[in-house]
Amino acid sequence: MKNRILIVEDDPGIAGAVALNMQFVGYDYALFDDGRAAAESLAGDHAYDLALLDIMLPGMDGFELFGYMEKYGIPVIYMTAKTDSASEIRGLRDGAEDYIVKPFDVLTLMVRIEKVLRRTGRLNTVFRVRDVEVNSETRTVTKGGQPVDLQPMEFDVLLLLLRYKNLTVSREQFLSEIWGCDFLGETRAIDMKIAGLRKKLDLGDAIKSIPKRGYRLEDR
Amino acid sequence: MKLWQKASLLCGSVLLAVVAACSAILLSYARGTMLDLAEDQTLERAEDLASSFQSMTSYYLLDADTEAVRDSLVRYCFERFAGADGVLMLDGEVICTRQTLDPSGALPASELAAGTQVVPMRDGDRDMLAGGCGAFVGGREYAVYAIRDVTAIRQSARTMAGAFVLVSLLGILAGTALLTALMRRSTRSLRELAAAARRIAGGEYGCRADVTVRDETGELAADFNTMAAAVQSRVDELEDTAARQALFIGGVTHEFKTPLTSMLLHTELLRSANMTEAERDRSLALIEDQARWLERLTQTLLKLLTLRQDIPMEDTPLPELLADVRAAAEPALTARGVALHVSCAGGTARVNRDLMRSLLVNLTDNAAKSYDPGTAGAAVWLTARDGAIEVLDRGRGIPPEALPHIFEPFYMADKSRSKKQGGSGLGLALVKAIADAHGAKIEVVSAPGAGTSVRVLLPLQNDYNELIDSPPSPGP
Repeated sequence: MKNRILIVEDDPGIAGAVALNMQFVGYDYALFDDGRAAAESLAGDHAYDLALLDIMLPGMDGFELFGYMEKYGIPVIYMTAKTDSASEIRGLRDGAEDYIVKPFDVLTLMVRIEKVLRRTGRLNTVFRVRDVEVNSETRTVTKGGQPVDLQPMEFDVLLLLLRYKNLTVSREQFLSEIWGCDFLGETRAIDMKIAGLRKKLDLGDAIKSIPKRGYRLEDR
Repeated sequence: MKLWQKASLLCGSVLLAVVAACSAILLSYARGTMLDLAEDQTLERAEDLASSFQSMTSYYLLDADTEAVRDSLVRYCFERFAGADGVLMLDGEVICTRQTLDPSGALPASELAAGTQVVPMRDGDRDMLAGGCGAFVGGREYAVYAIRDVTAIRQSARTMAGAFVLVSLLGILAGTALLTALMRRSTRSLRELAAAARRIAGGEYGCRADVTVRDETGELAADFNTMAAAVQSRVDELEDTAARQALFIGGVTHEFKTPLTSMLLHTELLRSANMTEAERDRSLALIEDQARWLERLTQTLLKLLTLRQDIPMEDTPLPELLADVRAAAEPALTARGVALHVSCAGGTARVNRDLMRSLLVNLTDNAAKSYDPGTAGAAVWLTARDGAIEVLDRGRGIPPEALPHIFEPFYMADKSRSKKQGGSGLGLALVKAIADAHGAKIEVVSAPGAGTSVRVLLPLQNDYNELIDSPPSPGP
């Protein structure tokens, strides 16, 4: 099951980038550029795991839209250029899960989304790439229905690649998320795990080496 | 030491000194007068005594009488007249008295022959006066004295002095207390003034001194309040300006953040995601778009900021100005399929040509954008007459609730449409700023669905007559 996310943002540049991002990492999404239109659409379809709301919106502003989200139990993250504390207080007091201030970067947004999904128990725990299926809850991996034995480190590397599918995961990211930030060891260790994964899961061409940056799991 | 304390102390001391001096003078005068009276009375009594004694003794005394007879007659006669106060002396010897006092020591009898004399004496703790007078009987020279007790006079003078001191002290105390109360009352206004000044210095600019007395302090308080009001209005003005500037900067920041976010997100995707060629091109085009828009926004901002300085004005023929506007605005209008009709009766206006052109191009552009794309017969009328330049369209108009805000920076009646049309939200703010720099007024009349008329009322010129000489024609 893919997580499904509602995006309401009137700036086509931001909306496009966020949507593209969702597509890359494997979230389903619906995009609206008008607050009222988004609110009205909820009556027919409200099967969203999360809503990303801009605050200054044509039709109906993000704060007002929040009421509708609450009605259908959809957690909310605001995306806004408003940095004044008054709107932040209002946003969070109203019960929004989080608040992200423009300009933000892709990784920050992804981390916030994951956090909210995990906190609300909606985070997808099953990832698929080709015939490989990974369950992050039970920490099991199957290939073509057959269980595959992975070292714990290999599993963590695979999960990180899956979480940021189609995006480049840098060596620094691997080190800080898996080995811990105070790990001063060699990045050779990462290369070893990647090599193991490629061999055991036959993902030699899916896991791409991006020179000087890191690795990317491609699935499109 | 407080002012009221100083003033009270000083006045109290002066009062005390003056009252003490006056009392002393008054008392000594009264005492002198009473003593003089007592002396006169004593002397009179002595003279009475002497004259009665003399005439009576002369009457009864015979030349033939022996000395013994004469002495006893003299004593007898004196005792007849003299009470307790009489003293009769002969050759410095007291020969008849009931007094214990002997004035002989103080009085040389020989001198009494020439006249009378009054001498103060003391008897124990009593003050006495002795008045003396000569009497001649049978060829002998007697001295008759009257003794008077003046202790009471001295005592009453002392009692009076005591009463004086008491009354004076009470008076001074009461006066000083009254003065102190008055001074405190007067200086209370000053203290209130000081408290108000401290509060204002602490930032409570709305604070005023509540002083109602109608003296110099009251005048000072009134002047102080006038000053405080001036300070407050200036501070309010500055705060208002600061608030508006903060709002403007907030608006600018907000306007920058959205395109920047978009650019950052796309750059990041380009760098780290496996995008298709088409996706790449779209992202790059988007980044370029946003960058260009930021560039336009920056230009407009720069114009807005530099406008605050003095701008040079020149007499500009209106037909030339409008021709400039047509040249600058027409290509964009033609591309939109909107016609531009320019009409001008002539005349000149004192304006900054570049800025006024920019203003009119902006308005013309806005007017063209009020038509939905592809509207048949879409047109903008640019007309100069009667000292005003009008930009008129028959487009969608401005909602009444938006009308008061259209000149505010970053205000957009329809945000998403303005954005799609490349609007920065600063166009009309710039128009307003240019008009203000020229001292020109802008009138906007609009009805949703019917169109909008924007009139720029140029300030009065010397050749204003030339402008209104042109035949007025009914509005389109």
